[in-house]
Amino acid sequence: MTSGTTSMLETAEACAKCRCGCCKDQCPMYSEIIEESISPKGRNLLIRAVCNGILEPDERAVRIAYSCLLCRRDEFDCSAGLKNAEAAEAFREYLVDRGVPLLSQHEPLVKSLENYGNPWQESRAARKRWAREIKGKKAIPGKTEVLFYVGCTFALDRSLQESPKALAHLMELAGEEYGLLLEDELCCGSTAKRIGQRTLFEKLRKENESRIRGISAKTVVTACAGCYKTLKQDYPGLAKDTKLLHSSEYLWRLVSSGKLNFKKTNMRVTYHDPCHLGRHAEVYDDPRRILKAVPGLRLIEMKNSKEKARCCGGGAGVKTAYPEISAKAALRRLEEAKRTGADAVVTTCPFCVQTLRAAAEASSSRMRVLELSVFLDELAVPRSKEARQ
Amino acid sequence: MKEPELAEVRRELVALLGESKVLSSKSDLLPYTKDTYRIRFEDDHRYFPDLAVLPETTSEVQGIVKIAARRRMPIIPKGGGSNRTGMLVPIHGGILLDTIKMKRVVEINKPNLYVTVQPGITLKELDEQLADHGLWLTQEQGSLKIATVGGSISTSGFSRFHQKYGVIADRVMSLEVVLADGSVLRTGPKVLYTSTGYRLLQLFIAAEGTLGIITEATLRVEPLPEARDVVLAFYDDFWGANDAAQKLMASGVVFSGAEAYEGHGMERLGAPKGKTSLVYVIFHGTKGEVEADTAFVKRIVEDTHGHLAEHEVALTFLTSYTQQWCGARALTGFEDVITTYVPMERMREFYDRLWNVIAPKYGLEALPGEKLGLDVGRYRMAGGRYWLPKGDRAWERYQEAVHEIAELATSLGGSIQSCHGVGIQHRENIALEYSDVAIETMRSIKKLLDPDNIMNPGKKIPSKK
Repeated sequence: MTSGTTSMLETAEACAKCRCGCCKDQCPMYSEIIEESISPKGRNLLIRAVCNGILEPDERAVRIAYSCLLCRRDEFDCSAGLKNAEAAEAFREYLVDRGVPLLSQHEPLVKSLENYGNPWQESRAARKRWAREIKGKKAIPGKTEVLFYVGCTFALDRSLQESPKALAHLMELAGEEYGLLLEDELCCGSTAKRIGQRTLFEKLRKENESRIRGISAKTVVTACAGCYKTLKQDYPGLAKDTKLLHSSEYLWRLVSSGKLNFKKTNMRVTYHDPCHLGRHAEVYDDPRRILKAVPGLRLIEMKNSKEKARCCGGGAGVKTAYPEISAKAALRRLEEAKRTGADAVVTTCPFCVQTLRAAAEASSSRMRVLELSVFLDELAVPRSKEARQ
Repeated sequence: MKEPELAEVRRELVALLGESKVLSSKSDLLPYTKDTYRIRFEDDHRYFPDLAVLPETTSEVQGIVKIAARRRMPIIPKGGGSNRTGMLVPIHGGILLDTIKMKRVVEINKPNLYVTVQPGITLKELDEQLADHGLWLTQEQGSLKIATVGGSISTSGFSRFHQKYGVIADRVMSLEVVLADGSVLRTGPKVLYTSTGYRLLQLFIAAEGTLGIITEATLRVEPLPEARDVVLAFYDDFWGANDAAQKLMASGVVFSGAEAYEGHGMERLGAPKGKTSLVYVIFHGTKGEVEADTAFVKRIVEDTHGHLAEHEVALTFLTSYTQQWCGARALTGFEDVITTYVPMERMREFYDRLWNVIAPKYGLEALPGEKLGLDVGRYRMAGGRYWLPKGDRAWERYQEAVHEIAELATSLGGSIQSCHGVGIQHRENIALEYSDVAIETMRSIKKLLDPDNIMNPGKKIPSKK
């Protein structure tokens, strides 16, 4: 029995003693499906029954296992302070280890990760296409101090490529030197890990970590919240040896040191905390500090923000397996954003941008959904000569 | 039930509701094997319902009841699922009728201050919708995030604001109930007061689903108050706090709710050293009312030698206490909670006997800071939490202790349960509280409304000896 299985069972046993159900209140999956089993409590009871041989994992059990966004919103409400997302992720690994077949919807992701090193069935060479218009060059081992780790979704989804371009541009405006892995960049493995494919994740992690470490950069900046969580928490030791920063943390350093300045705007914006950046990595303040540094901008918080923020519905393989549920969760979050009266919702994760943008389009909403770097790039002004000196 | 017959029932239910609203896999049925009742641990997976259904309308509930009634199949109606007395355990199998998809707000009537809802909406969800109309339900119970309107009515749930606004039982104006033969009963007009007809709605308050299934409830609501505030005071010991609570009650001052308890870590709340207990008093109303009433209560604190907490501290205390209210009320280990109703003047007698005689006799151990507590106001809930007995005959000693606590509460003129219902836990104990004639009358009512005993059988009313 692995330590992950032990702690998963401890969580399940503790939940089975309590059974209060407080987790259901804000669980985005329960909110849409409204079935007792589709909740952290329902899943914990299942984990306990399956692991103790009471039940065989049938098709419904697999549905319960994969109907979780691993968003950790429920943990804010959990009476017993349980790590339900960790247990849910470990349960997926447990099912895979027991030979339970992969969800058919996840098959293309896994095959693509195995063949191309990214989940989106794009060639390895496609990974550098986004960078054609920017000045950034390939990282040089031993020389590059800041490595910009772009991530599969920002690099390969054409509708999102404006984000890495914007971040690169902001770095250039601030006079920062940085390097890229381009076609040598590999998936961080988050997608594989979240759907229980531990062996595949380990393969990706080893290769990717060796490429990152090979550059010996002092700082690694990730644009994607999912990559950030994965590199920081699922790559043992990497965060100790390298300074890992999410783009929002990195940009705040540039803003607070006066290297980035913005023109005035009268926009009202609200900020959506991505689960992987917020609850998982506890980065709540830097994106807000940056937004507050934009002259004239009014930041309006949603009813549920920071640790209470609702998930956009895009995580942990749910968008691929249950797209209609994911879309409903996104719409619910967008409604919260709309209630603030803001002109735009700004966020810092490619999946959140995708799902919230799709919800805005589906509901014919006027609300703009903007990735933080893209939003800032529209407002950034070149530094004065004196500042550059 | 045998497999071919069960398959037939399933087919009929699927024809009525559609595949997605009929659950038959054990993976889906697991959450229905038990509520938060402290059942024997080895019995955790013993009581599976045969099926669970997720109706969305009254006519779907009617259809389900008719399918079950033809076969005399038990039906267990469920709300949020947080019951503590085993009310939801399907001890005879049958159909678990889960109302959680029945969340619709049918009508918000602002001029007449009422709302009509389906039973599956949670108290929190309802308050969120009412707030958009400048209204609130006024009900705040420990299971606020989970408890549904139907479940709360069916157990006559508690509210922290009972003194000013009553509990949900006081707010029910009219109910729609599907009876055991599938007919739909409307208990009366949607009015708070009427002197016509029998008060049929009272039959379904705290009925625990044994007489029918609530499919719609009309509840009195209130305008959102202009102001709210809290007074927090510390005392040397619980009995000092209890004296203050008695003076508060005797003064006639209007407050929403209050609680006195002995806790630990009072210094963290800004209490001077040596203070072990506190009283907090909550107010809602117009600004002028709240200002006058808080000033009045502060004078009571002074008169009873309490140490008044700074206003900011009191506000922070209330915010964090309220945020934790749901979670902190949960039973996270092998523990149980006492929610007996005890007359104020017998409180000391109750606690002396509980902790000095009953607890050591059966091996109950009070949880730290959970030994002495009192809800102040029209509720006289004497609370306490304890670890379940360990060792030989642990389960039996636990049951004996529960029985003796029930004997104690009733002998003092109180009630075994103020808000958690009877379920399985107190089924036999309630004979301590009611006369033979009263119990027989309850049996007659049950027989009249549910002659085949299909509505949540084995709960609420004691078995015939």
